[in-house]
Amino acid sequence: MTMTNFDKTMSAAAFAEAGEHKTAKEMLGAETKQPHPAGHGAKSKPYLSTLVYGAISLTAYVYLFKNEQLITTTFTKGGAYTWYPVGTAFFFSFIHGAFASNLLSVFGLEAKK
Amino acid sequence: MKRFIVAIIVSLFMLPLATTALAGGGAGPPTDMLKGKFIEMNAAERTVVLQKDATEELQTLTLGAAMQPEDIRLNKKVLVSLDKHAGEGVIKEVSIMFMDMTPNKMISLLIVGLVGGLLSGFIGSGGAFVLTPAMMSLGAPGAVAVASNMCHKFPKAMIGTYKRWKYGQVDIKLALTMACTAIIGVQIGVQIQKYILNHWGNAGSNLYVSVVFVIILILVGGYVSYDARKLAKGGSATGNETPKLAQKMQKINLPPMMNFKVAKVRISAWVTIPVGLATGMLAATIAVGGFIGVPGMIYVIGASAVVASATELGIAFCMGAWGSIQWGLSGLIDIRLTLLILATSLIGVQLGALGTTYVKDYMIKVVMAATMMIVSISRGSKIPGYLADLGLRSPLDPQTANILNQVSFWSLVAALGTAGLIITVAMVKGISADRKSKRAEEALMHG
Repeated sequence: MTMTNFDKTMSAAAFAEAGEHKTAKEMLGAETKQPHPAGHGAKSKPYLSTLVYGAISLTAYVYLFKNEQLITTTFTKGGAYTWYPVGTAFFFSFIHGAFASNLLSVFGLEAKK
Repeated sequence: MKRFIVAIIVSLFMLPLATTALAGGGAGPPTDMLKGKFIEMNAAERTVVLQKDATEELQTLTLGAAMQPEDIRLNKKVLVSLDKHAGEGVIKEVSIMFMDMTPNKMISLLIVGLVGGLLSGFIGSGGAFVLTPAMMSLGAPGAVAVASNMCHKFPKAMIGTYKRWKYGQVDIKLALTMACTAIIGVQIGVQIQKYILNHWGNAGSNLYVSVVFVIILILVGGYVSYDARKLAKGGSATGNETPKLAQKMQKINLPPMMNFKVAKVRISAWVTIPVGLATGMLAATIAVGGFIGVPGMIYVIGASAVVASATELGIAFCMGAWGSIQWGLSGLIDIRLTLLILATSLIGVQLGALGTTYVKDYMIKVVMAATMMIVSISRGSKIPGYLADLGLRSPLDPQTANILNQVSFWSLVAALGTAGLIITVAMVKGISADRKSKRAEEALMHG
């Protein structure tokens, strides 16, 4: 039978109440070590990468909208020019996607382990 | 990561093989359309000279009966729809390709992008059904709206797939199998559309699309909602039991048998083919293949809702990338629209993806069913108008037509809003429950 987090916590609580602090800590130890390798503290948040990716992304957006006339005209010429919009979409998805991912981590929104 | 990149490269390589397959949304770029700039007009003779894009070739066109010389703006990039029934080179309609981007329009696009992304990350599809109408109502020509939406769909799906693949939810083999058959399904769908368009014209085609939309959404959405309600009431402890139909399908031992490790399914390839075909056909008809792809993977193939919705993102990436190239070749992508939606949908899709790790499997079904049912109202309210266009009922008075149009648009917005709300509430509950249990653990540790 596999034990859920809740089961483990409750069993540990039962041991702790019975004065078996060591067993309780051992039960929780395996569980808590993995998500928090640094010990108590949450792992450091990616402030720097958020800032860097955010800055690149913002610069790219500003550049694009400053030159929207030229860009929209060139990007819609069709044929081989297809790679312009498709490539740009790829570029933004990597840069802006990385920014978004880091931003969510900064806000403390991580997937459940 | 390496496996994921290989899968992306393989799928990109496979795309050109399906040379005639069109976009996963609609029947591909229209052929009776010209793109270019008007450089000269003779109001008395009702003729204009169009300088075509790319080739710079000049063509003299005549204004159609419904057109006024004031409708023509010189030196602006335009899309010209031709009226082939009225003769050679007769203009039916002219639309300016690039709408002026005001702050209000930008904010609207950002909001729709965020919720569309959230939905996409959570149920594997969605957003497209409201983004295209939203862009059109902001002033983008239909073809540009479809193309720009398509071009935002594949990078979003790629990021979403990557995230959910990291959470161990994407069955790449299932996604590629489904995508291959879906591309064939798209072609079948396009042929049916063409047949209907040739026999009954635009109104017939619209009616067909709407009727298919409503029937499928009500039947599938109804079943998904019945199933979700059963699970929510405690029909099963985990909500992960394989549906009966899928169990029967898995017993069919018709080679070649395929093993899908992530979905934990061993099933005959002959079962996956119809599901993929149906997904593609629906994508070509109503632009949202996921409305049949996800339930198909859950109820016919037997994947869990989490794996099915994650895998659908992989399929959306393949089909979206192929579609974007098709529409890009016709030069119809307005990159500003694409990138504005992308700005928030890339946040939304990752938020939706991580949301799936906090909720029970049936929540995905709840969101999906709610979205499908409300979207069916939107399409259903269009049917009386199309019936009138075909002369199958008396014409609608302008007031009724206007009300029905409003109902159609706002129910799309409501679908998106409802889904966004359910996802957010479920996610917040899940996260706070998880944090509480972690805090309890820590308190025990130190207490």
